[in-house]
Amino acid sequence: MAKKKRIVYTNRPWEATGICSGCHLCELYCSLQHVGAFNPYRARIRVAELSTGVDVPVTCQQCQDPACQAACKFDAIVLNKKLQIVVVDETKCTSCGACVGACPYGIITLDPVTNKAIKCDLCGGESPACVDICPSHVLGALTDEEVSEHNRLRFAALLAASDELRRNTPSGEGPVLKRLEKRG
Amino acid sequence: MAKKNSYAGKILRVDLSTGAITTQELGPEYTDLFLGGRGIASKILYDEVPPEVEPFDPANRLIFSPGALIGTGVPAASRTTVAARSPLTNMHGDGHSGASWGAELKRAGYDVLIFQGKAERPVYLYIDNDTVEIRDASHLRGQFTSAVHSWARTTFGADVCTVSIGPAGENLVRLAGVYHNGADKGVSARCGLGAVMGSKNLKAIVTRGTGDIGVADIAALKAAFKDYLDTIAVDPYVPPATKYGTCRFMGHRVKFGIHGAENWRYGAYHWETLDPEIFRSDYQVKAGACLACPVRCRRDYRVRTGPYAGVTAKLEWETIARSMTCGVTNPEAVIAWSNQCNHYGLDTEGTGDTIAFAMECFENGILTEKETEGLRLEFGNEAAWLELTRRIALRQGELANILAEGTKRAAAKIGRGSERFAMHVKGGEMTAGDPRGMPVRAVSYATSTRGSDHLRSNPYIEEIMRPEEALQWFGSEEAADIKHGVRGKGKMLKFSEDFVTIGDILGLCKFAYYRSATFPYLYRKGVHLATRFYNACTGRNLSEEEMLMAGERAFNVEKAYNTRCGATRADDVIPRRFFEEPLLGGGPSGGAVVDLEKFDAILDEYYEDRRWDPDTGLPTRAGLERLGLNAIADDLEARGKLPVSDCGKVE
Repeated sequence: MAKKKRIVYTNRPWEATGICSGCHLCELYCSLQHVGAFNPYRARIRVAELSTGVDVPVTCQQCQDPACQAACKFDAIVLNKKLQIVVVDETKCTSCGACVGACPYGIITLDPVTNKAIKCDLCGGESPACVDICPSHVLGALTDEEVSEHNRLRFAALLAASDELRRNTPSGEGPVLKRLEKRG
Repeated sequence: MAKKNSYAGKILRVDLSTGAITTQELGPEYTDLFLGGRGIASKILYDEVPPEVEPFDPANRLIFSPGALIGTGVPAASRTTVAARSPLTNMHGDGHSGASWGAELKRAGYDVLIFQGKAERPVYLYIDNDTVEIRDASHLRGQFTSAVHSWARTTFGADVCTVSIGPAGENLVRLAGVYHNGADKGVSARCGLGAVMGSKNLKAIVTRGTGDIGVADIAALKAAFKDYLDTIAVDPYVPPATKYGTCRFMGHRVKFGIHGAENWRYGAYHWETLDPEIFRSDYQVKAGACLACPVRCRRDYRVRTGPYAGVTAKLEWETIARSMTCGVTNPEAVIAWSNQCNHYGLDTEGTGDTIAFAMECFENGILTEKETEGLRLEFGNEAAWLELTRRIALRQGELANILAEGTKRAAAKIGRGSERFAMHVKGGEMTAGDPRGMPVRAVSYATSTRGSDHLRSNPYIEEIMRPEEALQWFGSEEAADIKHGVRGKGKMLKFSEDFVTIGDILGLCKFAYYRSATFPYLYRKGVHLATRFYNACTGRNLSEEEMLMAGERAFNVEKAYNTRCGATRADDVIPRRFFEEPLLGGGPSGGAVVDLEKFDAILDEYYEDRRWDPDTGLPTRAGLERLGLNAIADDLEARGKLPVSDCGKVE
């Protein structure tokens, strides 16, 4: 049986171009793959832009115990045995949005055109469109073994970085002379 | 059922005087010949803003026209055109930006957005797909571009895109730009577009668009994408862009010794502190990308220590170049200045040249310390430079109020012989590198349709052509000779202008398609692949010749517009300094001047190849009709703006 995989942001912050550049090509080609048109709002991977200008691609974590599946009252989120991840059965989805509210990562959304819930489905087992197109090569389809070490380092970095993020000011504060004036 | 065409299909028109919001079909009268982006914008400007309408009249249009391929996954399809009659040149004006706002507009359902009229009080336009509303913006008055974008994200969600002006645009500073998605994503900086937006009391546009952008032939698109990646993988031009961002252009200026330092007097200069490697290792915090671009040459920098500690800014090459024009070579001060301009909403190009003008006036005693209100405007004085920039944005003080009018008007107002220090073409401040020592570059600044501009005319093509290619394409091996060549240069310039215009029409970035290490790669990206991408997305079947003609056509529309505003051959000149004063500082171009005979010879050949009358510089009926611009020819004739006898060759 094929191993379970999930899309992971495998950034290399020690390289100048080893982080997300905010080009949005992953979104564009994900939507092209799934709906035959270009539309980030219909992509299963989204680039979140933080107010500091940092871009981060986020997509389904393929949870072991999916909150979206637990929240669905219509059995519309089902296990795909081949991929070992849950996928949306659009014939059963009623667009109620319960899964959208339940996902702790804000990943599963309602497609603005069909109104059905959409989430990453690993491109059905084919080579994922987002991984293929990313010019910075910061997306990977990782197995559980590959992802464990990545998760550990990421968690540790999150703890360390949270202080940095809490110290930074958002970009809306204005230009330097304004701040220098405040300092007196 | 997915859409099978990348056009949204509609023009959105907003009358800020009456409040009327209407849509009309984007029909074949626009798409057939003008395609999108700058092509459509220039045509609308011609049709709707006659010379009787001044730039600050409510009847001036502010046109937003994303390139035809915006919103698709075509690599580096990122650029949106903004156009209006320019308050700097009094003629055609446009600017572009690679930020994603244009794609959001198309997804909302509109290929073009036109503003006319003037609101009674500050307003913003709110677009959420079908919902389009003019809303009160009094709470945004005086806000920085960054603050407007932050407010929009907080109020409407993190996905919204914005267009905004800063205090500079609100104060009708003629050096104000139109900012996309805040201070650090992109700006349509040139031609005083921000002032036009301010003159309409339009502070911002907030946009969400969640519709599809279709594509006619997915397989053809993907094949062309692969071809594009294969091409840039072997084109030596591209990797430095990805590695250094646009800082990389320092290498070009050093190689030819054409810095334009200290108000365009020095070609060689002490540039070493601005080495791209220093920016990369000491200040870079992000290597970003414009929409859909794999080249990723945007750069954000942060200063961590020293007097400018804490400053973060998106910084691009021309800002570094214009810092040297003001004599500043401290990278931290340059980052601080970029930050300043980005938040206040200024164009660094025009602002840099204007302050450099004031600095040379100060150096020569034409401006005294009393008139500068205590600012010691010496080249390289960082504090005075930053402070004057702030004052210009706010029109604070008499000098700043004069400089806010741009170099040309400031010189006319100050007088006292200051005109010889005003470095502009048709009122548009000087850009890029010094033209002395590079004859076709000199002419290219003169022929640009929006004032001095290297992006319009792209003279770099001469640096990569081999003599046999020059012979084949432009009739003379001389065209490949940068310093001495004359024959073939005029034809090369026409080709280069038409070629680069394709990029602005389709929304393709020049750095990704219109610069290269060899001419075959250049043609492959900028014409061959561009045409394949357009056809794949729209389902049309343009030939490469037709695509080049689309570029030629848009350029001619702009030329006709400028002609109608009164421009003639007499306006196709560059500042006298370049003809009369040898380039200082030594270096590869040291001692050079622009040779007037060569300049005129190239210009003659250019006019002839363009099918414009060489004596007057006016377009001819034959030339215009060859491009399908019969109505424009009729209009010019009715206004007495065609040459008395047509000299153009008839096809």
